[in-house]
Amino acid sequence: MANVQLKGVGKRFGDVEVVHGVDLDIRDNEFIVLVGPSGCGKSTVLRMIAGLEAITEGEVLIDGQVVNQVSPKDRNVAMVFQNYALYPHMSVFDNMAFSLKMRGMGRDEAEEKVREAAQILELTPYLGRKPSELSGGQRQRVAMGRAIVRNADVFLFDEPLSNLDAQLRTQMRMELRKLHMRLATTTIYVTHDQTEAMTLADRIVILKDGAIQQVGTPIEVFEDPDNAFVGRFIGNPPMNILKGVYRESGGNRCAMVGKSCFPVVEGKAASLTDGASVLVGIRPDAIKMGDAVDKLPKEWLCHGEVVLSEILGGQSHLEIVVDGETRLIAEVEGRVVAHPGEVVPIGFEFDRMVLFDPESTNTIR
Amino acid sequence: MREASRDRIKAFLTLLPSMILVGVFVYGFIGNTIWTSMTDWGGMGALALDPEKNFVGLANYVELFTGFLGSGFRQDLVNAVYYSLMLLGGAVGLGMFIAILLDRKPRGEDLLRTIFLYPMSLSFIVSGTIWRWLLAPQGGVNVLPTYFGLEPLTFDWLSSRSAILVFNWQDILRILLYGVSLVCILAGVAVLRKNRRKAMRRLASGVAVGLFVWLFGDVVPDAYMMREEHGFNLATLGIIMATIWQYSGYTMALYLAGFNGISQDLRDAAMLDGASAAGYYRHVAIPMLKPITISAVIILSHISLKMFDLIFAMTGPDNAETGHPALNMYLTTFRANEFATGAAIAIVLFLIAATFIVPYLVSQYRERGRR
Ligand SMILES: Nc1ncnc2c1ncn2[C@@H]1O[C@H](COP(=O)(O)OP(=O)(O)O)[C@@H](O)[C@H]1O
Ligand SMILES: [Mg+2]
Repeated sequence: MANVQLKGVGKRFGDVEVVHGVDLDIRDNEFIVLVGPSGCGKSTVLRMIAGLEAITEGEVLIDGQVVNQVSPKDRNVAMVFQNYALYPHMSVFDNMAFSLKMRGMGRDEAEEKVREAAQILELTPYLGRKPSELSGGQRQRVAMGRAIVRNADVFLFDEPLSNLDAQLRTQMRMELRKLHMRLATTTIYVTHDQTEAMTLADRIVILKDGAIQQVGTPIEVFEDPDNAFVGRFIGNPPMNILKGVYRESGGNRCAMVGKSCFPVVEGKAASLTDGASVLVGIRPDAIKMGDAVDKLPKEWLCHGEVVLSEILGGQSHLEIVVDGETRLIAEVEGRVVAHPGEVVPIGFEFDRMVLFDPESTNTIR
Repeated sequence: MREASRDRIKAFLTLLPSMILVGVFVYGFIGNTIWTSMTDWGGMGALALDPEKNFVGLANYVELFTGFLGSGFRQDLVNAVYYSLMLLGGAVGLGMFIAILLDRKPRGEDLLRTIFLYPMSLSFIVSGTIWRWLLAPQGGVNVLPTYFGLEPLTFDWLSSRSAILVFNWQDILRILLYGVSLVCILAGVAVLRKNRRKAMRRLASGVAVGLFVWLFGDVVPDAYMMREEHGFNLATLGIIMATIWQYSGYTMALYLAGFNGISQDLRDAAMLDGASAAGYYRHVAIPMLKPITISAVIILSHISLKMFDLIFAMTGPDNAETGHPALNMYLTTFRANEFATGAAIAIVLFLIAATFIVPYLVSQYRERGRR
């Protein structure tokens, strides 16, 4: 059990700076997910926390102690790798017992710990097998077992589910969550998959080009992104981002997108002046159709032409054109059967609309 | 179906020439050598146009192992065994050690790798000549200490007459049985953790054989009519050094390639698991490279059993202390014209080599079959 702090942490490979001044405060027992596109430096940050990569700038603290100079094995962190990194010549039992053996634990005590971990992960029948005789999901469990047996202060996961098929990934995701509820060990989890981030995290850290874009709970980063990148990266389908102009006349505040007025609710973006250009962000699920439209105020409604519809079962994704020029993706509940070319009434939850500055792409609050 | 069988015929026809050539020139000649070794071809008239050859069964082998004339061969065989063991230990150990050092990525790793691998590219005649100079009584190695103001060494590297680890050839069967007992016990200990019953069976048979020989050793026949002592001749040390020098670069290259093939993640995992650098090599890297170790052992034991040119270049063919069965085979066959005895020596070497290789091949096939 420990908290982890990053203070202005940077990493340089030769002349290339791949991580820039990362500040992060990870609380004890927290499940933090670092998410971002491939190559943004997630693994590098994780490896610096583990001690596998030298820290070129700033400090990493575990439990209040600066660990920049502490060797990986003395940081008491455990890591799970994308390709599992199991020792191929050792049995499952020996794989899990290895760290205990290296730390000089007696054979009986080690066996007890391994059996306990195997019990939790349902690996007991496989303890005698070699990794090559296991399925992907079982190998994944062994990799986790190797982390659990040690009572590490911090778990580090680097895209642990990427090599699994979609179904198994969903299942393992839930098991990871359960495991965290049971063990309550501080966990730092790296992924490029925003769904994993949303479902697993207590708090999400969004990285881009080696810099933090936003830190917040899944709901915070979803509903209130700090910039357009976060808006588009989090959520699937991604946020609709449209070019618009801010108009203010009397008490009427509008983000004009094409010919339509997208009303700006009271209190939002108070600093904007008439005529400023903005980027308008609307979540696909903030667009309503069918019965759900009735609950919205009159002035939030309009008509749109359906271009394409995908029925996913419980919900549907539709591509809609408003005013003959503005293309939007909508995610609506239920099996909305709309034929391409059909014009249907739609409604917007404009209170959930986000405005971004077109220069900096930061949110205008 | 027709297509498939036509493919087979084509494949067969393509392979046929090499099958015939290998069949005649490898297996045919092995067969011929075996037959020759069971005749009395040799001595006077051996080079006659139509030499006299009578079938004598295993008499040549019996003579080699228990006869008066086989004494030289027996010394050579003992030499070859010690030589192989020392070469294996030395070249595998040193090669592994250098590979580990280079795997730590010191500065100039590329250059060092080339330097260590370089001796491999020399012919044995060249390296043998170099080492003969280096090991001359007043030469190279012996005067090395004088550069540090010390007395020169006086060891006769290539002509010393001392021997250590001496045993009586009469006891050879008993010694072999003790060896079997030891192997059984070690094999038992190895699986003690995993499979108790198997371990117990091996331990029991090992102990039984050992006890039997210890208590009733007299029952085991003597291998020779009188005392005949053989041992590890110190004169072979120089040859062993030269061979290790020449081959440790090769084993280094094997291990280095293996180490490089281990993923960074695995090293990182071992480091996080608390393994020191030494622990990583001991528990992870070297056990993972078991196939490489096995290949190295097989290749080197082969080379050491067939070693000829290096010894010829270093000590000439007539130095009894540094004799080797391959050299003996050549001298017996082509200088003494004892073709049958020479063939018997060849077959003995062939069988010894086979004891190394056949178990390996069998295990390989079995593994492939399992996949
Ligand atoms: N050892 C290294 N040497 C040089 N560049 C590296 C090294 N490791 C990673 N990088 C670079 O750092 C950047 C971030 O890499 P990484 O942390 O692996 O990204 P992610 O895990 O987010 O996909 C990439 O542009 C990558 O090319
Ligand atoms: Mg990565």
